[in-house]
Formats: sequence, C-alpha cells, structure tokens
Amino acid sequence: MIEAVEHLAHQAFFGGVAAAGFGILFNFGTRDLLWCFAAGAIALGLRTLGLDAGWSLEAASFVAAACLSVCVAGFLHPRLDPAPDMIALTGCIPMVPGAFLAQAILGLFALTSPNPDKEITTVVLSVEYLLRVAFTICAIGTGLAVPLHILKLMNFRGSAAE
Amino acid sequence: MNESNSPRLDRQDLGKIALVSLRAARMIMESGGRAQVIAKSAQTVACGLGAEFLGLRIGYASLAISLGDDANMITRMVVVGRHGVNHRLDQAVRRVVQRITTERMTPGEVEVELDRIAQTTPKHPPLFVAAATGLACAGFGRLLGVDWLAFVPILLASTLGQHARHYLLGKQMNPCVAAAMVAFGCALISSQGAKLAGSDTVNLAMIASCLLLVPGVPATNAQTDIMDGHPTMGSARAVSVLMIMIFATAGIWLAGAILGVHP
Repeated sequence: MIEAVEHLAHQAFFGGVAAAGFGILFNFGTRDLLWCFAAGAIALGLRTLGLDAGWSLEAASFVAAACLSVCVAGFLHPRLDPAPDMIALTGCIPMVPGAFLAQAILGLFALTSPNPDKEITTVVLSVEYLLRVAFTICAIGTGLAVPLHILKLMNFRGSAAE
Repeated sequence: MNESNSPRLDRQDLGKIALVSLRAARMIMESGGRAQVIAKSAQTVACGLGAEFLGLRIGYASLAISLGDDANMITRMVVVGRHGVNHRLDQAVRRVVQRITTERMTPGEVEVELDRIAQTTPKHPPLFVAAATGLACAGFGRLLGVDWLAFVPILLASTLGQHARHYLLGKQMNPCVAAAMVAFGCALISSQGAKLAGSDTVNLAMIASCLLLVPGVPATNAQTDIMDGHPTMGSARAVSVLMIMIFATAGIWLAGAILGVHP
C-alpha cells in the first residue's frame, strides 16, 4: 500500500515538474506555472491510478485528460483567465507518448538494415507502438476537447460566458 | 456585427482592415493557437473594425482573408512564420481582439497595439528556459523509469539541447534538420553521461533527453483542428509533427549507431 502511494506521489510530482518545465518553454507567466505544475500532477496522478487499476494506457490517458479538463474548465476557469484550455493542455503534455513514437520509428529503421534481426517481432512491436501513440494522442485530445466543448469554454473569455 | 449606420468603407479601408485582421490571426497562429481561435480572431477584428467578414482560408504557411461591404470586396494574404508556442503573446493578442469588440478602434490603433505587445510581451531568459526544459526532460525520464543515476546526465543533455535548438532556430535553420542535430547531441551526451554515472538505463536516458523535441501542442492541436472543421490545417500539423519526430529519431539512431547502444 505504502509502495503504491509512493509510486503515485512520484509520478504525480514528476508529471508536475515536466508540465511546469514545458510551461516555461511555452512562455507561461509565473503565476500560471503553478497551475501548470498542478495540472501535470493531477493528470499523471490520475493516469497512474488508472494504470495501477489495470486499465490500458489509452483509457487511463483519456480519463486523466477528461478529468483535468473538467477540473480546469468547470471549476478553476475564473482563476485561470483567459485561456484555461492551454493550462489543461500543458498539464497533459507529460502524457504524450513521445518515447513510444521514437521507439516505433527506431524499430522501422531497424527493419531496413541489411540483415534485420527478429523481423517479425520488430514489425509487431513497431506497429503496436505506433498504434498506441496514435490512440493515446487521440485519447488525450478527445479527453481535453469533449468537456471543453460541452462547457462552451473553447475560445475567448467573452464566449465562455455566452 | 456590421452596424448599418457605420461609414461606407472604400477598398483602401478594407485593405487596411484585412491586413490588421491577418496580423492578429498570424500572431495567434505563430503562438500555437488552434485554427478555430485563429478564424474567430480574424473575424472579430474585421467585424469590429466595420467590415463584412466573407471568409478566411487557413493554410499551414499562409492565411488569406476576404472582406467586403455593400460595394466592394477584397482578398488579402499573408505568409505565416515558424509555428511555435508562446502563451503570453497569444493571450495578449486575444485581449486586443477582445478590446476591439468593446472599444471603438481604428485599424491604425490596432496595428500600433499589436506592435506594442509584440515588442513588450515578456519572455523568460533563454538560459532559464533551457534549464527548465532540461528539468522537464529529466522528469519525463523518471516517468519512463530511468534510474536516478541517469537523472543529471539527462538534465544536462536536454539543457544543452534546448539551448542549441534556440540558437539554431534563431539562425533560421530548418526545424527538421535542427531536430535531428539536437537529438543526436542530446542522445550522445545523455548516453555517455549515464554510462559514466553507472546507470542501468542508458537506452531510456537517450530517448528521455530528446523528448524536448516532441511537438506535443501541435499534435493535440492537429486533432482539435480536424474536430473543429479544419481538416487541412489539422492534417498539415499532424504531418509536420511526424516529420519532426522522424528527424529527431534519426538523430537518436545515429548516436546509438556510433556508440553501439540500442536505444
């Protein structure tokens, strides 16, 4: 139990660190960086809970993105003026499976070598990684977009109140 | 939104409104805005300045707008620069666009305001950004399962990598080529550093140090654009994300081949 909590805290903390770091790269203001950290921690925390419960990466990423989107758009948007959706998106950046994509492309590179080793395994693994990347990015995008569309917060401050 | 008692606009007035609308839209696009926000910004500026908005074409490398009134119709186009993410600039432009709906502004005043925010919107110092990006990649590494011994090498490699990327893009280098070069350097430094530190996760460290190159915002924007009815822009974004990743992976592969490490 303690191990599971430690793992959850670890993933949430480093999710927050990654989101805040990318928040600086995306030129967020100082105040918003705290929200980026919180958004990243929430997203990674929820995804870790899902994965620990035996869900697939895609399902856990979708639920984490959707919950974060609801939190940000539904409850925090007056404090995250004027574009809460960008905070939610930055919070989800640590869930983008860039490492899978790199490994998938590396696998495809390996197939083109003169004498590829374990071709069938490499093909299966590469296709699996590519599919996981595609489905996970779609899961994150859908999880972020659906609540925002429902809550009519997609665009400007003005339109949020429409 | 076009007021019936507003003065009639000649072609020159429409041209000015079109250019300032495109300027606002271009700034949002170059700052990482979604296609729907870009379209709405251009429309809000054009209508707020008294023109009738007829349409906007959003391409990956250019924007074109058509405006009119009862007597005239014009179309103008601008070229869009490198796509990046700049949250504070994006927000500042959106605030100006909001002001146009509530205050009576002329195209010249909007242009001056856009010039002002382009020059005065604060940016974090490049070294601070590089260090923060390094920390983010090291955090990513921990999420991927990299051991603590590889943490500092990833941090150093990604910090140097981000600084190099900033320099190369500032020199107008092609973003794909820059991604390959940065990935090669990051993979080389992080793998050697992790090896020296005695890490058991050298291969993961190579990949984690290059995650700064993953275009996460364009990847999610691509999907949102397609959902919002801008499939051309969404597809172009998705292809550009894939190209960046292929070049970045080529850099990692080359570093691995030289060092004999299988990433």
